[in-house]
Amino acid sequence: MQTKRRIVITGLGTINAVAHNIPDFVSALSAGVCGIGPLDLFETDGFRCQNGGQIKNFSPRNFISHHFSLKRMSRADMLSFAATLEALTDAGLYPLPQQLAEDAGVVIGGGSGGLREAESFYRDLLNKNGRHARFSKLSTVYCASSADRIASNLDLSGPKATFMTACSAGGTALGYARDLIQNGQAKMVIAGGVEPMCRITYAAFNALKSLDPGVCHPFDQNRAGLSLGEAAAIMILEPLEKALARGAKIHGEILGYGVTCDSFHMTAPDENASGAIRSMQAALRDSGLTSEDVDYINAHGTATPVNDAMETRAIKEVFGKRAYSIPVSSTKAMTAHTLGAAGALEGIVSVLALEHGFIPPTINFREPDPACDLDYVTEGARKADLRVVLSNSFAFGGNNTTVIFGKCDKNGIRNE
Amino acid sequence: MNEQERTDNAQRIVITGIGMVTPLGIGKEEFGRRIFAGDCAVSPVQSFDASAFSSHCGAEITDFQPRNFISIKNIRRMDKISQLTAAAARLALEDAGITVNPDNRDRIGIILGTSFGATDVTVQFAETLLKDGPALVNPILVPNTVMNAPAGHTSIELGFRGVNTTITHFAVSAETAIAYAVSEIRRGAADFILTGGVDILSKFYYEALTRFHALSPLDENIEESKPFDRDRNGMVAGEGCGIICIESMESALARGREPYCVIKGFGQGSSPATPTGWPENSAGVKKTISRALTNAGITPQDIEAISAAANGSITLDRIEAEAYAEVFAENKSGPWITALKGALGESFSSGGVRTCALALSCAKGAMPPTCGLYTPLAQLKFVRRREEKIEINNALLAGISFGGTYVYLVLGKCPDA
Repeated sequence: MQTKRRIVITGLGTINAVAHNIPDFVSALSAGVCGIGPLDLFETDGFRCQNGGQIKNFSPRNFISHHFSLKRMSRADMLSFAATLEALTDAGLYPLPQQLAEDAGVVIGGGSGGLREAESFYRDLLNKNGRHARFSKLSTVYCASSADRIASNLDLSGPKATFMTACSAGGTALGYARDLIQNGQAKMVIAGGVEPMCRITYAAFNALKSLDPGVCHPFDQNRAGLSLGEAAAIMILEPLEKALARGAKIHGEILGYGVTCDSFHMTAPDENASGAIRSMQAALRDSGLTSEDVDYINAHGTATPVNDAMETRAIKEVFGKRAYSIPVSSTKAMTAHTLGAAGALEGIVSVLALEHGFIPPTINFREPDPACDLDYVTEGARKADLRVVLSNSFAFGGNNTTVIFGKCDKNGIRNE
Repeated sequence: MNEQERTDNAQRIVITGIGMVTPLGIGKEEFGRRIFAGDCAVSPVQSFDASAFSSHCGAEITDFQPRNFISIKNIRRMDKISQLTAAAARLALEDAGITVNPDNRDRIGIILGTSFGATDVTVQFAETLLKDGPALVNPILVPNTVMNAPAGHTSIELGFRGVNTTITHFAVSAETAIAYAVSEIRRGAADFILTGGVDILSKFYYEALTRFHALSPLDENIEESKPFDRDRNGMVAGEGCGIICIESMESALARGREPYCVIKGFGQGSSPATPTGWPENSAGVKKTISRALTNAGITPQDIEAISAAANGSITLDRIEAEAYAEVFAENKSGPWITALKGALGESFSSGGVRTCALALSCAKGAMPPTCGLYTPLAQLKFVRRREEKIEINNALLAGISFGGTYVYLVLGKCPDA
């Protein structure tokens, strides 16, 4: 088998409930800031919960210059494009050289897409017998529109793809983007995920009784469900040799990923954790690593009673006795669960942890659960020299994705 | 077999199973008989009242009995789009001669493309929320509003637990899914992957298309899907699910299965366009074809047949014809081109059904005719009126989407073993 090209991360960008850019995100993660609070984006009357991880004071023009039209861009489109601009600038690739744009692609893990904007359309359709409903509002309703906007705004000619596997989409998008470069379909890929806060999606989780009425507290004995959030999280991926040749800053490397399916139930995870176990094992295999190599696990950790116990069981199964000495944290208590963006957002968390040498904490933790007995880093952020970080994303439909990130220095040498 | 051949066969991806639920029949036999005979599925819409809309025709699946394919236990949880997917996936697995068991289930997966998902369920969900409030939203509906539901339901129904992903990128969803599946088998992520596309007709979706002025007739003329025709006047809405089962040549040989064809390579690309709009020219299409040919290690001279994306739309068909005229200018005889959307309408994730059809073509040595093509818009070698006998060593499957996204697959006959 031929040796695979190494694919590194040279740019990062995010907007989420605790930060509007990467430097602020590092500070918030180290300080353990909680971004979950009362929503003001829509009416929450009649819901079991009024909280969420909303991005406050988002003014698109603070991020996107007047060079770009915002017409018919959904909140998801604007958030993802803003994060893209930050990531490209961070990578030293903005404005994008024409030659690179020819072979540059976009891969996005999507979720609600333009569903937020579509709500008013549906309302018109129902209220006035549809006579005044403006169907043009549907032009950005589908989550693929975000990737189209990014590519079109930046004049890209490379591949475009949008993943829609609910909460694992962002993670799969990162793995797929790596493959696109390894397969020679693209020389650079803008990869990540976006999830806007939207009432229709909120209503869905409300109906499933998955929401914590207050603020989520992962791995806690009294955890009562998840908190929904919104975010855009974008990475710039390039082959290592290209990054080195242009002297780019290297944040980290995608070592491998795995995708599996529970084949168990549409909304409940398999309590035997088979899908999660196989997903972590597949990612380790793809990375050429063993369970000995992992220094920190950024957990899916949604704070639903079933997920956290299941994930803990899976980690013990994969890592054996070592599970007890690997720090595991869920950053969803800070950012909330950002669904389609979560895998990419937590990918960024993993890379920042490697780069800045710290483990972000599981906040809001109060009472230990006998079923969750690992080291969840509940006392606050911890300094640590990390080499390999594993990030889990599990989704409705039984979709599981695990991505593994590695540290490498400015010469591309893996810190082993 | 030497070491080199063994490596080649591990990386050579073949199609060994076909499963179809389409307006031209269920299963490859009925579909094959009708598509090669030049049957057209376009007729007045029956499953909902379309009288208030500006168009009235569609290509609908009419004779689908979910109970023939899906267990009673799971059927009630599935909506229409999931039922079509599970049925087509079951047919593809059976056709490939694979029985899911505890030994192989973790190495079997699904990578599905859907452009719009369950538009019927999403509207129903939004309606309850907006009319009756959040408390009355039915939780049973929730999982089916998400686009990965068909793949999730299918894995539960058929019991496989390997790689499972759903891609949604408008009209190239299925082609992207298939390209990804090829790369996943090569990466060693699975032994068998079911891949393809699904989209369904619903009243809401049909109305949306008429409001976007996408459907035939755009003029006062007859409502018909006329790909590549000088007088084309819009597309006709369709639906369908086409799933192929792929594996490595090495695996097929070991199991003693005769593949339909090899997937030799793929190319992906894009060009700037407005959302739901078309790019200005065919530059992106040409570049993507060139990527696909390079990926497969062949040149334009080698292409003998094309299954086109053309659907009767004014701009799409023009751009696509323009690209072929230029890319194959040097290819003296030129490839035979067929556009199946004349018979099947546009179902957006049509790449699944069309890849099944092209695999059948490779095995049969014939390309099916293009329905609705009377006066070609360009001097290209279109397959018209009746099937064209042709030995297919290399064929292109075109995926072209509004928004400016392209995927081309290269399919061809298996090399003589």
